[in-house]
Amino acid sequence: MSGTFVIVGAGLAGGGAAATLRQEGFDGRVVLIGAEPQPPYERPPLSKEYLRGESPFEQALFQPLDFYGENGIDTRFGVRVTRVDAVDKVVELDDGERVSYDALFIATGGRNRRIPIPGIDLEGIYGLRTVADSDRIRAEISPGRKAVVVGMGFIGSEVAASLRQSGVEVAVVDRNTVPLRRVLGEEVGRVVEEIHRDHGTELIFEDKVAAFEGAERVERITTQRGHRIECDFVVVGLGVEPVTDMLAGTGVEIDNGVVVDEYCRTGVEGIYAAGDVANHYHPVFKRHIRVEHWQNALKQGPAAARNMLGENEPYDEIPWFWSDQYEHNLQYVGFHTEWDELVVRGSTEERSFVAFYRKDGRVLAAVAINRGRDLRRSIPLIKTQEEIATVKLCDLDVDLRTLTGAASLR
Amino acid sequence: MAEFAAVSGAGDLGEGEMRAFDVRGTKIAVANVGGAFHAFDDTCTHMACSLAEGDLEETTVICPCHGSEFDVTSGAVLQGPAREPVETYETRVEGGNLEIKG
Repeated sequence: MSGTFVIVGAGLAGGGAAATLRQEGFDGRVVLIGAEPQPPYERPPLSKEYLRGESPFEQALFQPLDFYGENGIDTRFGVRVTRVDAVDKVVELDDGERVSYDALFIATGGRNRRIPIPGIDLEGIYGLRTVADSDRIRAEISPGRKAVVVGMGFIGSEVAASLRQSGVEVAVVDRNTVPLRRVLGEEVGRVVEEIHRDHGTELIFEDKVAAFEGAERVERITTQRGHRIECDFVVVGLGVEPVTDMLAGTGVEIDNGVVVDEYCRTGVEGIYAAGDVANHYHPVFKRHIRVEHWQNALKQGPAAARNMLGENEPYDEIPWFWSDQYEHNLQYVGFHTEWDELVVRGSTEERSFVAFYRKDGRVLAAVAINRGRDLRRSIPLIKTQEEIATVKLCDLDVDLRTLTGAASLR
Repeated sequence: MAEFAAVSGAGDLGEGEMRAFDVRGTKIAVANVGGAFHAFDDTCTHMACSLAEGDLEETTVICPCHGSEFDVTSGAVLQGPAREPVETYETRVEGGNLEIKG
């Protein structure tokens, strides 16, 4: 197959797609365009080991620097696509260049959501998405300084932990009752709360920032319930929104990201999407889901690229991610937005458990703290969507691998 | 010159089982794949989790913390996030006991 395949977005999904096109023998032109100046890299370390200065950036690179040249991948890093013309099949870049395509791959990812709080533009207030963001936060870290973390989702929780581990005094503000409540619920969120409390973080829940205050730099925050916290810097982690602006007027459906079918195809011939930006129809969950995690970008990008080459294989990986906080390893697998039953295997007090999110008797997702082996063994339960007796899920003497398929009949 | 050291108890591992042992101060995992013993560093090269706490699927060991996969016969990375291979060690069975060179 020949022609020009243009990939917009040089994160893990875009980089993986470019590499896969070559591995699969595509000998046309591949153009990889990314807004950041760096070649594709992995983001998980940015809130953890890289932020703490424990691992170099090179270790996060998706491929060695010379990989793209050696594989005939035409790169444009530090350049943004401003517009896609789906009629003439051209992308327009912010440096004035126009690149024609035969097939287009959208992997633009997300940008941090900006909340209009008074004082948000003061110096010393950071979001975290890119390595440049992580570098800016790193430069603020030194023992004894004081930080406020706004939002206790995964990014906020991980940053709060890394800052404490680096000797920074930390206060967090979150509108919910516990960290990660929206995703994990009250019971599991409570375990995460206690972990952070044990490490001396000041936790302010059911409250919101009213204003960031200071002359040039942020000096304190005030909250709607009257807290006033002095600080040297602030990290805001209030979620991400998909970057889809350049697709306006193309006819590509935008609804919580770029809407794609199980093959990662948009409704417009020749345009595909994958990674954080893609709202993908998942054959297991039988609905569209948008996943903002490493493994999804790593696997969905190449899967979509193979489909661009005509493989026609639905993407059906079960979403999975980890979140290390202090010495604790949290992992999640599956996808759920609501559940009617939480089944706990192990002990929340001892911080060694898997919790299954069930709806109508079926396991939609599972979260584990310090019980990774059981989490991995839960994947078939989610894939098959079989009803499993609660007593078996909870019995630590039962190997979860024996609960599905033919194995469950033994 | 590396010497063989006996690993007490490793010979009792059933097929498909793996466990970590302290061998001269180093945590080494031993896996029994189809009756053949494979020994490798128990410490994952990514974030230092114990690989023996993970799963063994034929000749692949899967890290319980972040899902990195290694080939127990060579130590090679089969799936990230790990980048570096794990060290592997020669094994032999002497008088019913497993020995590891290293």
